Amino acid sequence: MLTKICSIANIGLETIPVIVEVDVAQSGFPGFTIVGLASKAVEEAKERVKTAIINSGLEFPSKKITVNLAPADLPKDGAAYDLPIAVGVLIAGGQITASPAVNLKRTFFYGELSLDGTLRPTRGILLLALHAQKKRNTTIIVPMPSANEATNVSGIKILPVKTLTRLIRHITAGQFIIPLKRPKAKKVTEKIIIEFDLNEIAGQELAKRALTITAAGGHNLLMWGPPGTGKTMLARALPGILPPLTDREALEVTRVYSVAGLVSPGEAVIQKRPFRAPHHGVSAAGLIGGGSNPLPGEVSLAHLGVLFLDEMPEFQRSVLESLRQPMEDGTIEIVRAKGHVRYPASFTLIAAVNPCPCGYYGHPKRECKCSERQIAKYHHRISGPIIDRIDLSVSVAAVETEKLSLTRQNEINRLSSKEAKELVVKARQIQTKRFAQSAIYTNSQMRNRDVKRFASLTSDAENLLKIAADRFDLSARSYFRLIKVARTIADLETEEKILPRHMAEALQYKQNT
Amino acid sequence: MPGTCLNHWQKLPELRKLRELSAPPKALYYLGHWQPEIFENCAAVVGSRRMTEYGRRIIDLLVPRLVFEKKTIISGFMYGVDQYAHRVCLDNGGKTIAVLGWGINMPYKSSDLKLAERIKTGGLILSEWENQQPALWTFPVRNRIVAALSSEIFVVEAAAKSGALITASLAHKLKKKIWAVPGPITSRTSQGTNALISSGIASMWLGSLPPAKIEFGKDPLLNLLENEALSTDEIARKLNKNVAEVGAQLSLLTLDGRLTEKEGKYFINHAY
Repeated sequence: MLTKICSIANIGLETIPVIVEVDVAQSGFPGFTIVGLASKAVEEAKERVKTAIINSGLEFPSKKITVNLAPADLPKDGAAYDLPIAVGVLIAGGQITASPAVNLKRTFFYGELSLDGTLRPTRGILLLALHAQKKRNTTIIVPMPSANEATNVSGIKILPVKTLTRLIRHITAGQFIIPLKRPKAKKVTEKIIIEFDLNEIAGQELAKRALTITAAGGHNLLMWGPPGTGKTMLARALPGILPPLTDREALEVTRVYSVAGLVSPGEAVIQKRPFRAPHHGVSAAGLIGGGSNPLPGEVSLAHLGVLFLDEMPEFQRSVLESLRQPMEDGTIEIVRAKGHVRYPASFTLIAAVNPCPCGYYGHPKRECKCSERQIAKYHHRISGPIIDRIDLSVSVAAVETEKLSLTRQNEINRLSSKEAKELVVKARQIQTKRFAQSAIYTNSQMRNRDVKRFASLTSDAENLLKIAADRFDLSARSYFRLIKVARTIADLETEEKILPRHMAEALQYKQNT
Repeated sequence: MPGTCLNHWQKLPELRKLRELSAPPKALYYLGHWQPEIFENCAAVVGSRRMTEYGRRIIDLLVPRLVFEKKTIISGFMYGVDQYAHRVCLDNGGKTIAVLGWGINMPYKSSDLKLAERIKTGGLILSEWENQQPALWTFPVRNRIVAALSSEIFVVEAAAKSGALITASLAHKLKKKIWAVPGPITSRTSQGTNALISSGIASMWLGSLPPAKIEFGKDPLLNLLENEALSTDEIARKLNKNVAEVGAQLSLLTLDGRLTEKEGKYFINHAY
């Protein structure tokens, strides 16, 4: 007898329907074959399915079983076909009969089986749900630990399954599984643990201010200074002042995390803005994504969040160069022999750079041991095109300990993460309103024509910029960069027009070249 | 282009000073256009290879003044103080002599090439060797020529063990006038110069600041910077003002030309 079970394949963020055809022949030698470009993981489903069926107290038919994953020319990977294959074998073998209440044509089966017949967390559930949403009256049957991911999607029936036995009782109409309800529209209270409060970082007032601007406008930031001055701490304080994800953004982020299998069991949606800090030994595939069935890399996992590159010149140059496309387009396209995949990668880059290889060039007390050549070579590792896409640059100098005690008295520059976040959220609201009709979210994403449209300068501010352009030999790109930063500074003050003082402050963060 | 060999340099009157050396060079080679008057009034500007921002500012102050006094700047064409002195001299339309610590026909590093080309048109490149590789011993040997050719020597920055100190002591033996620029006692690159001053070998070079020209009490920010170079953070802390506000003010003063920013610190521009 032949049975067809619906499932899906995820290629990147694209979902393609897959029909799992199971035939249990009445004659022929007993055997179990899977065809349809199955990877090793899918091949091994044979053993998992067989054992899981037996351990669930059922019988595995000793007949000739053929499984075809259609379309046959699309490579299939992952363990999610365990469940459709097991159900197919049971129905095709005549052990169970699907009740008319279960419409197999409109039900997607998706999940990995454990040998004891329970279902294991499986990645890509959100994508399945989004695919199922496109048709009416669809049901998805997914492992219970991952089922919450699907609750973000409306218009589908989500059946969480714990064990194969339980599922069979459902299919044979013995006892139906209760569908998962969508969570009520209550605002998920944000419980983001702040790793570092800005208050905890001594001195570095300018850097903190730059960090606030970065968070408000989504600008890329470069921090340079000797080791131990707080660059890493400052970067780690950033998540604490970033605005919460909007619902639309949260779904976008969760989609990527679902494919990567990084949504923790039971979690419905990623609420925290991603903060990714890959080590400088990361490979190009690790950073931008890769593999024969490409998985998202760090740039995509940092989508709508922060990518922090500590000791940036220590990264391999070719790896850094691969950041150019995502920094320009906000997406990354990974091309492999089997096809190409596109992932979103719109992130804020925070880079920390030492002034020289030993780190102490220009340090007030310690001597630098590097030769001029070494220093020049070190700075050469970050290419111009990357530097060109960084809006703010700030020096994080060594703070002398005797001055640190003074800073406690300096109340005026005291800024806690909570206060900074309030400023940031307000500035982001202004930007959301400004860009409501455009496809962008933040000031940093403005193209040159957007700058002309949205960032109006007072004539004084414009003159100031012209003088600066002449004096500092600004390139056209840095000219527009300054306007974007000034726009964010004005937004932080809820000023509609960019005033000279905003432009003057923006000049503080220009790069020294 | 290979260097030209000076046959019988001992007969040239402009090089008589070299003959005073206990071990005068056997031969001399040069690149550029030979002009006897370039040797008439020479001042050596020497110092550390690892020049700090302070050293750079001193050269910016000192060299234009020497050029104005129609002096030829002699130095050793090493990166750091030497090369910067050559460069500022040429920028200000002065004449300069570079005495190499290696053979005249050795290939230049790409970073040196441009400066060498400029020196050839505005001065001379000298060496006592034709094809000598640079080595540890060649630099101190070269220094005796620098000391002998110049009538006064300015040591801008020098660590406790610096080649510039060798030049200074050679010059001292030749009874030349030696100037050293004092620096903070905590700075390694000023230890050598401070030692020269304290031992009495060198006179202290204090530049000459325009006295009482700076208006005090006008802008508290400028007042602060009178004494030392400070970063934005430090200024904000001292004035107890918001960093954003201080930053904007600093940008404006920099655009005005009243301040200069280097490596995150702001300096008063005395030239203003």
